[in-house]
Amino acid sequence: MSELTVKSGQGGARTRELVAAGIGKRYRAERRFRIFGLVAIVSALVFMALLFASIIGKGYTAFVQTEIRLPISYDVAVIDPEGVRDAAEMRRANYGKLYRDGIQSLFPEVEGRTDRRLLNGLVSSGATFEIRDAVIDSPDLIGKKGEIWVPAADDVDMLVKGRIDRNEPENTRRVSDKEIAWVDALQKDGRLETRFNWRFFTQGDSREPELAGIWGAVAGSFLTMLVTLLLSFPLGVATAVYLEEFAPKNRWTDIIEVNINNLAAIPSIVFGLLGLAVFLQFFGLPRSAPLVGGLVLTLMTLPTIIIAARVSLKSVPPSIREAALGLGASKMQMVTNDVLPLAMPGILTGTIIGMGRALGETAPLLMIGMVAFIVDIPHGFTDPATALPVQIYIWADSAERAFVERTSAAIMVLLAFLIVMNAAAVILRSRFERRW
Amino acid sequence: MENSHVRDAMHTPTETEGSAAAMGAKIQAQGTNVHYGDKHALKDVTLDIRAGEVTSFIGPSGCGKSTFLRCLNRMNDTIDGCRVSGTVMMDGEDIYDPKIDVVQLRARVGMVFQKPNPFPKSIYDNIAYGPRIHGLAANKDELDEMVVTSLEKAGLLAEVKDRMDSPGTGLSGGQQQRLCIARAIAINPEVILMDEPCSALDPIATAKIEELIDELRENYTIVIVTHSMQQAARVSQRTAFFHLGELIEVGDTEQIFTNPRHKLTQGYITGRFG
Repeated sequence: MSELTVKSGQGGARTRELVAAGIGKRYRAERRFRIFGLVAIVSALVFMALLFASIIGKGYTAFVQTEIRLPISYDVAVIDPEGVRDAAEMRRANYGKLYRDGIQSLFPEVEGRTDRRLLNGLVSSGATFEIRDAVIDSPDLIGKKGEIWVPAADDVDMLVKGRIDRNEPENTRRVSDKEIAWVDALQKDGRLETRFNWRFFTQGDSREPELAGIWGAVAGSFLTMLVTLLLSFPLGVATAVYLEEFAPKNRWTDIIEVNINNLAAIPSIVFGLLGLAVFLQFFGLPRSAPLVGGLVLTLMTLPTIIIAARVSLKSVPPSIREAALGLGASKMQMVTNDVLPLAMPGILTGTIIGMGRALGETAPLLMIGMVAFIVDIPHGFTDPATALPVQIYIWADSAERAFVERTSAAIMVLLAFLIVMNAAAVILRSRFERRW
Repeated sequence: MENSHVRDAMHTPTETEGSAAAMGAKIQAQGTNVHYGDKHALKDVTLDIRAGEVTSFIGPSGCGKSTFLRCLNRMNDTIDGCRVSGTVMMDGEDIYDPKIDVVQLRARVGMVFQKPNPFPKSIYDNIAYGPRIHGLAANKDELDEMVVTSLEKAGLLAEVKDRMDSPGTGLSGGQQQRLCIARAIAINPEVILMDEPCSALDPIATAKIEELIDELRENYTIVIVTHSMQQAARVSQRTAFFHLGELIEVGDTEQIFTNPRHKLTQGYITGRFG
């Protein structure tokens, strides 16, 4: 008996000793863990900062565009030789001649076909449309002289923005010494300025970087997302509610559950192929249409929404269900009155995550033809369209130097949309969130 | 030692007072069995619950008293793999008859749970929940009156009448439980089932609930599951003792506590096990 007491007494001392010996190790492990965590977060922030710096550094110049102020004489003989002032007729006039005459009048000393061509090349061919639109807007101009700002060619734009190195030898530079001299002369006269690039936000795609805009892709993305949201949210929530609240738990529902989880992991390009086979080949829906893009992205987003919705339905405490059922609520009343409102924040978060993924998705859209070069801005769900990430892909693939900054600018627009969507998610969450 | 006790009990036939069953029995359970999957949770329970009385179920944890309580408003239906056999008659109707609508049944048999579970809504909406889902109030005034009366009956009106729009979850534990009782009586049920309603509450809140149960007895048949023998002794007129899924003994509360017929009952109420 006494031996036992001694032993336990020793044991107590020994426990204290062992704890004291090990305590430093435990605290070191904790410190190490904290340092790892800190390192991980700091490196993530550094890479994010680098990403943003690189994108913004490359892209911010795309929001301005070099323009040239040209003197134009709106010649009746060119615009409206018959004097009928018919808009359709006037649209077909040779406005190219007007801007070429304009730029040449500024440099009367330039002679010879080659040099004149080079000089004309300072101005974007888009000047044609600027002048045409000005004339159609106010036919009073005809027969008068005036000044008009027109976009400069992409190489001039790059030179002015400092993206082309003047010190490079002439034979490897995209702009010749002559052109540089003309640009400098224009700048000195105040005829060349960088101005806000409204075309970038209002125009569709173009082969000419200075005329290319993001609006076509934005509209395409918007229509596609609208289809995706309208289909995947109700379908996904209804599926989740049925599986979670109504379906019996048996082998069939297990198989369905496994399949939904597998679908969430399938590479998106496969959904693209599925869309091509089913929506285009079988149902004969139009190619490159936001409707089909939305359908394909719905297939891709549905599993994400279903899984998120099921998890948040599951996390609604059983006491709430019991309370409702105990009061004689039918299952449907329980779901709509109590369970869904409580699960809504989680469902919305899942939906926005799914939509964010869909907004940034390129691969499935390539398969259904939304990668085509489309200049017109889509106005309906069946108009040919492209989407923001596809536009980024197309521009990143283009040869012209000026598309580099436009690619970055398009990325910024895409990121802005994602940020807006996430902010919306946060606001909706806090609105639906209820305190316990 | 204890094991032999238990085995003893299994060989003893369950005893009910046949003579008393006929008079004023609101609910009559006949040979009720409950299985959860392979587990035989409730074995052949035959028990009458009299109208206008408080019946308490006592017994050690896992003895089937809550399971039996949940048979009385078919809350066991919501549990996967749960099977109920035997008959449970309420006013002479078998509530497990396929013709009986479970929604209607639960409108007649209200329930209060172990943990207060108000909806995350306002106090008003909590009480109005039942009348709304069943469409009991014809207009807003009627609904207002129902809410006020229910809160009044639950003895909560004075405490909450100035903050009907604040969330029910913001009340104290005892107030929340009385809110749940008010919510249950808002649909004017015939029977109220209470599953350990005071186990999460402090003694003062418990005393208030017990007082309330005593008042409610006038208008409702009440069945209460409790772990506290003192509570059973204080609030109930009849007591049923369960052990390992079997009904061991049922009788007038006074008799059960002063003169139990069964060894197991005696062991339990004197604190020798449980």
